[in-house]
Amino acid sequence: MKSFRTIGTVGMLVLLFVWSYRSVDFRFGDLWKGLGETRSFIWHDLLPPDVSALPSFIEPALQTIYMSFIAMVLASVCAFFFSFFAAYTTSPHPLFRYVVRGAASFFQAIPALVWVLILVAAYGLGPLVGTIALFLSGTGLLTRSFAEVIEEIDEGPVEAVRATGANWCQVMARAVVPQALPGIVGWAFYKFDLNIREAAVIGMVGGGGIGFSMQKSLQLFQYREASMAIVLIFVLVLLIEYVTRRVREALL
Amino acid sequence: MKRETTFLRGLAIGSIVLFIVGWQSLGFQWNVIRDGTKKLGTFLTHMWPFDVSNADVILRAGVESFQIAFLGTTFGVALSFVLAFFAASNTSPHWLIARFVKALAGVVRAIPALIWVLLFIVAVGMGAFPGILALAFNSTGMLVKMFAQSIEEVDEGVIESARSTGANRLQVIGRAVVPTVFTSLVAWSLFRFEINFRYATILGMVGAGGIGWELTSAMRMYRLDEAAFIIVVIFVMVYTVELIGNRLKRSYMTY
Repeated sequence: MKSFRTIGTVGMLVLLFVWSYRSVDFRFGDLWKGLGETRSFIWHDLLPPDVSALPSFIEPALQTIYMSFIAMVLASVCAFFFSFFAAYTTSPHPLFRYVVRGAASFFQAIPALVWVLILVAAYGLGPLVGTIALFLSGTGLLTRSFAEVIEEIDEGPVEAVRATGANWCQVMARAVVPQALPGIVGWAFYKFDLNIREAAVIGMVGGGGIGFSMQKSLQLFQYREASMAIVLIFVLVLLIEYVTRRVREALL
Repeated sequence: MKRETTFLRGLAIGSIVLFIVGWQSLGFQWNVIRDGTKKLGTFLTHMWPFDVSNADVILRAGVESFQIAFLGTTFGVALSFVLAFFAASNTSPHWLIARFVKALAGVVRAIPALIWVLLFIVAVGMGAFPGILALAFNSTGMLVKMFAQSIEEVDEGVIESARSTGANRLQVIGRAVVPTVFTSLVAWSLFRFEINFRYATILGMVGAGGIGWELTSAMRMYRLDEAAFIIVVIFVMVYTVELIGNRLKRSYMTY
């Protein structure tokens, strides 16, 4: 039974591979040539990074941090509110749960870059668009994660508070929130980490920040400037990853 | 409890300060927000009913996104599978090699996939090819780390007993290590495919094939009803893969 299943799975994967390989017109020969071209591009055109361009990238890099952080905070506030309606244990009515969960899944599943494309047409280029896009996708993700945190809390204190005759709001404030808070803050900072990566690329389609500066350099064929921006993105990603990990560790 | 409260308070104060400083320096203007939101409102009214006249082209582009994600993941998994044994401290030929491979993977991982796409586009031209390369590359950065972690968690006894039968390094890996870690490698690959699939829907926005390009060109021509249709297609694609992924993970864990 087990081997039958394994053979079936492997066969299907091979078929998928052959089908994909043939229809996107991919050749292994191109692979070697492409890798060679990429290597020489990185070696000759991209390196070394132009350090003199660094001062002009500091401001956009800060913009990227601000965008990610503000979007995370706003999304957390909204998600905090929605998550009580989405969690099984606290939702006042199943109807709320379905609607909120459905909307959250929708906003989570659609990549932030898609929102950027639409928002740019309405608000024009700039960090405002990036912030709103990250806010939308963040609210989707955080509503679902916060709801999970709320569902996992210990029911004992909740029952105890309810037994004192407290109403729904009081139960939430006295029993649910204190227990769920560390988990919620942890998720929020995880989203901040994800936002930094996304914000770096959101700029490429007009959302402001360091990605926008990098794209501009690439379009002007200033490859060494662009690679300086990439180095900065790299540092930014590692820095925020480190900070958010420390915060999460301290919370758990 | 006391320490935790102090920490949370400090975090809250720091967050508020960063929020205000950020808000000030980004310089959001209320009238821009108001006018933009108004414009967005009229956009929404133009999005319905969906324009499905180009549905065949759009769906074909969606299929291409799937193929890009699948090929990118396959190459990434294959490459990572080999590299992971050099990166894991218990199977690497030398600890220096392990350090080096891990550091390299770290660098590749920390640079977002879309930036790799841009670099590959400059190097090899537009189309599905740079998308596949970028996804393969970026996946390798992550999977080498995860695969190596799984390999390092293998019980030392399993390796020792295989080695005591006189097996060489390759035999130890093939007979003892691979069967032990196989399940977690598959789970990680599946997880990565989900990520790659999400990427594959937006790669096209910077010129790397798939459904993202259709969305960009629809927006450029202000065909909002078509853009809305594409967004719904993207949602259905991403959501379906997530559902199937969850289902597979569950059935795989139980059997």
